[in-house]
Amino acid sequence: MDKVITLWEGSGLYNLQLGQAVMIVVGLVLLYLAIYKKFEPLLLVPIGFGGILANIPEAGLAISALDQAIEVAKPAVLQQIATALGVALDPLANAESWRVALKSVADGNASAEALRAAKYVAVNVGYSDGMLYNFYKVAIGTGVAPLIIFMGVGAMTDFGPLLANPRTLFLGAAAQFGIFATLFGAVALSSMGVMDFSLNQAAAIGIIGGADGPTSIYVSSVLAPELLGAIAVAAYAYMALVPLIQPPIMRLLTSKKEREITMTQLRPVSKLEKIIFPLMLLILVALFLPDAAPLLGMFCFGNLMRECGVVERLSDTAQNSLINIVTIILGLSVGSKLMAESFLSVETLGILGLGIVAFGIGTAAGVLMAKLMNLVSKMPINPLIGAAGVSAVPMAARVANKVGLEANPHNFLLMHAMGPNVAGVIGSAVAAGVMIKYLG
Amino acid sequence: MQNAELLNEGLALMALGMGFVFIFLTVLVISVTLMSSTVRRFHPAPASSAPVRREPPASSSQDDEVQAVISAAVHRYRRQKGRES
Repeated sequence: MDKVITLWEGSGLYNLQLGQAVMIVVGLVLLYLAIYKKFEPLLLVPIGFGGILANIPEAGLAISALDQAIEVAKPAVLQQIATALGVALDPLANAESWRVALKSVADGNASAEALRAAKYVAVNVGYSDGMLYNFYKVAIGTGVAPLIIFMGVGAMTDFGPLLANPRTLFLGAAAQFGIFATLFGAVALSSMGVMDFSLNQAAAIGIIGGADGPTSIYVSSVLAPELLGAIAVAAYAYMALVPLIQPPIMRLLTSKKEREITMTQLRPVSKLEKIIFPLMLLILVALFLPDAAPLLGMFCFGNLMRECGVVERLSDTAQNSLINIVTIILGLSVGSKLMAESFLSVETLGILGLGIVAFGIGTAAGVLMAKLMNLVSKMPINPLIGAAGVSAVPMAARVANKVGLEANPHNFLLMHAMGPNVAGVIGSAVAAGVMIKYLG
Repeated sequence: MQNAELLNEGLALMALGMGFVFIFLTVLVISVTLMSSTVRRFHPAPASSAPVRREPPASSSQDDEVQAVISAAVHRYRRQKGRES
């Protein structure tokens, strides 16, 4: 009978906490959105599945060896860990309260040396880092995965439309207003006492408005790793919702006449220009904002591989197999951050709310900037392409094209919208660099 | 007190960030424009685009020919059929 009880006490059902159950349901909802609603399935399938894995009770896939030992080890082991951490445990209290005390010390102010000693104890008694924890440490903790994805995005990006009409870069700049307005919103919310965000966290939340998955993940891994799960989920979910979020704002801010504006045909761009552009961008980044160099450097590298035409194989790998491999690992690593204790909080709701505001403001700022440019310049600019300034390549450009076709069935804006669209990628990477410089 | 400080920091970061993004992209616009005009002056686009453009009309005229042949054949077939019945 004792054996049966041990088995029962080791089962998932016995150990399942309410939070974990809720997070498993959240993971299933993400999978549902990805599979049936086609919401960015390439990322939400691994993220959703990773989220489920991370919340399997007792398995501890997403936590370090030390955390795992603190959570499940026998009291004797807890004593050893306590000595290593230099904590005195109350001998009268039960093991559960020891776990709580140890956890708060390990997460809080323990010195690096004490943590190393405690980890050594945990590893010695047979605990090891969870698989997803390792993925996270390697892929996101080092910043490698978002950067490789950015290289792949660079290899997939055609700067032709941007080079043919460089002024569309301003639209990409204006749309970044969403990022900073949301940052300010998050700061205002916490100064009113509604939420509790630090400036770093507010910056990481604002970057959702850049509508750029790898940039969001990179920035939040540097500035606010504790919010990474919620930020990545919000960023990818809203990117999938771009066709629903943007059109009402675009219609609200433009008259039918403005939506009907046809734009002049783009000039052909020579190969030489396309080769020089990434190099020039890199030099400008090096001169003005070295903090954006990781992101934009990889982006330019990917783009140069594409355009130079002599390394087809590398370019092909960067934009296909490599980006796919990294996407799997990145998705699972993000999923590992969907653990109940960090994800189920009011802050997550705040992030989701602020994220959608960021998208809306970015779209509006892009459209308004396009209207302003229309007043100044001689060449007509359809204000709809301003909305494509919030990266989200190529979805935002397609949305601009679709709304344009509704107003005028002969007006194809897709190529014109690709200009601000890729400008948005550069713009959000620059914004990310500024934030990291200011707060990092 | 601290709240006001946080708000100020937020405002400062917003102004600085937005300003920097605009300055950087303005510099980028200027340099792209200069680069494009230099490239086009010293290395004018080769006429390679011309033959590509000439191709579609050729294929469409071929289509016309094929269409004419087909319609003639259909016409004759129908007439033959009409005679038989």
